[in-house]
Amino acid sequence: MTSSSPAYVEGATVLSQERLTEDVYRLTVATTTGGTPGQFYMLRAWEREPLLARPISVHNVEEDIVSFLYQVRGRGTELLARLEQGGKVALSGPLGHGFRTEGLRGRIAIVTGGIGIAPMFCLARTLPPGDVTVIAGFRSHPYAVAQLVDLSVDVRVTTEDGCNGTRGFCTAIFDPHVYDTVVTCGPMPMMARVAHLCAEAGVPCQASLEAHMACGVGACLVCSCPTVLGNKLVCADGPVFDAAEVIWHA
Amino acid sequence: MLETTLCGVTLKNPVIAASGTFGFGAEYSQLFDVGRLGGICTKGLTLHPREGNPGLRVWETPAGMMNSVGLQNPGIPVFLERELPRMRTLGTAIIANVGGGDLEEYIEGVRLLSNADGVDIVELNISCPNVHEGGMAFGINSEVAAGVVGAVRRVCSKPLMVKLSPNAEDITAMAIACEQAGADAVSLVNTFKALAIDIHARKAVFDNVTAGLSGPCIKPIALRMVWEVARAVHIPVVGIGGIATWQDALEFIMAGATAVQVGTATFVKPTTMLEIIDGLERYCANEHLTSLATVCNILGTVPKL
Repeated sequence: MTSSSPAYVEGATVLSQERLTEDVYRLTVATTTGGTPGQFYMLRAWEREPLLARPISVHNVEEDIVSFLYQVRGRGTELLARLEQGGKVALSGPLGHGFRTEGLRGRIAIVTGGIGIAPMFCLARTLPPGDVTVIAGFRSHPYAVAQLVDLSVDVRVTTEDGCNGTRGFCTAIFDPHVYDTVVTCGPMPMMARVAHLCAEAGVPCQASLEAHMACGVGACLVCSCPTVLGNKLVCADGPVFDAAEVIWHA
Repeated sequence: MLETTLCGVTLKNPVIAASGTFGFGAEYSQLFDVGRLGGICTKGLTLHPREGNPGLRVWETPAGMMNSVGLQNPGIPVFLERELPRMRTLGTAIIANVGGGDLEEYIEGVRLLSNADGVDIVELNISCPNVHEGGMAFGINSEVAAGVVGAVRRVCSKPLMVKLSPNAEDITAMAIACEQAGADAVSLVNTFKALAIDIHARKAVFDNVTAGLSGPCIKPIALRMVWEVARAVHIPVVGIGGIATWQDALEFIMAGATAVQVGTATFVKPTTMLEIIDGLERYCANEHLTSLATVCNILGTVPKL
């Protein structure tokens, strides 16, 4: 999992497509383009509509494989979910700046909401397992948790419907004071809450943001995010930001 | 075969990256050899830096997209210091796109860019639909546009290309007015002013309410406008609007364009412009053409219906 320069690959081969829940899939693609935790790819696997490629974060990277964990949200992800083994997908990546792993020290909390768990498998793989606690919130049935447990990291699950783990939001069982550094990915209100708790506790927090994108490389400026340092681009300056820099209420 | 002269500047080929879709070139140079392009139009520059618009900035439509970036840019002095030196290493013509909030900002911006080594052409943006002052406000009425073009012409020692808005009252009259005011070329069209509504939130998708529409959906209208303008002016016309294939590019050339700009299609597939260049080369070889000029502006006079 070393950083590599991005490339455009027109026809990468799909190695597998696994359906994890009703609307969550894991797509594994043969490519040597690599990537680091928190980076993403622009994916497109259809002829005309929708127009734009879809930004999807790197879930796992091997020497000649990249996998993506994604939730079907609209037409683009719906078409991605139709890909079968042997199918072709166009990809650009790896793109953006991922988690600054050199800044992750001591006791580390990974706080996720829903599909925000996607980039955390490859991140957790790079961290010493004994130091990592994953607090993963889901609406209902959890996914992509077992593989984290396999890494021997401490995983705590919350579900809104109480079907698994603690009932409620993940932020309810997250106490920043117990940790030295925090990373988070999930819905904006949830990350805003995590960022707020971390700021109060004086614990550094890295947040991976999501945005509608067109180019993915910093050329079109449509994915801007307000920060205390001015508007930043989620694609090129992020997607991982210091949570204290992000203006969350916007 | 594809070498093209655009107001005195030699381009490797007539395929240019459109302003606002290609940053300052380095961004896409990560994904392909941008040195093969005929030229790159910079992100729209203003004398003073701009933060751009708040809220959502992009929305997909059938066969197109709407954007509301609002001329976010670091300002011309920062461009000249940080971006231009890097752009000059890319090996392609540099077209500096310049906007302004008022006449003074246009004049000072153009003066700075015109004096900079490495800027080949200045593209005057009087057609951005996404800023309140300036931008398209100068590109609706021909007399207003002529005033800006004439004023910047006096301080511009580089070739001056004026980028026109399809939202102009009369695109042909607009182009003629720009030519008479001293433009060396016109490029058209910028995005169409458009609207999207979030029916669940019961409000406009964009904070600015309206935004600019681009992509394949605008191509036939853009092509018609290029054809109308090319018949009316004596300066080169650069065609823009939904070009995604070499066949699209050739249509614009046949309608009278000397060169074309490609924007939204690059988002769809980063290497689109290289495919267009390759396709035009194959076309020339297959048709035994030594130059695309042979097929430029070939519709001739139109029969009265």
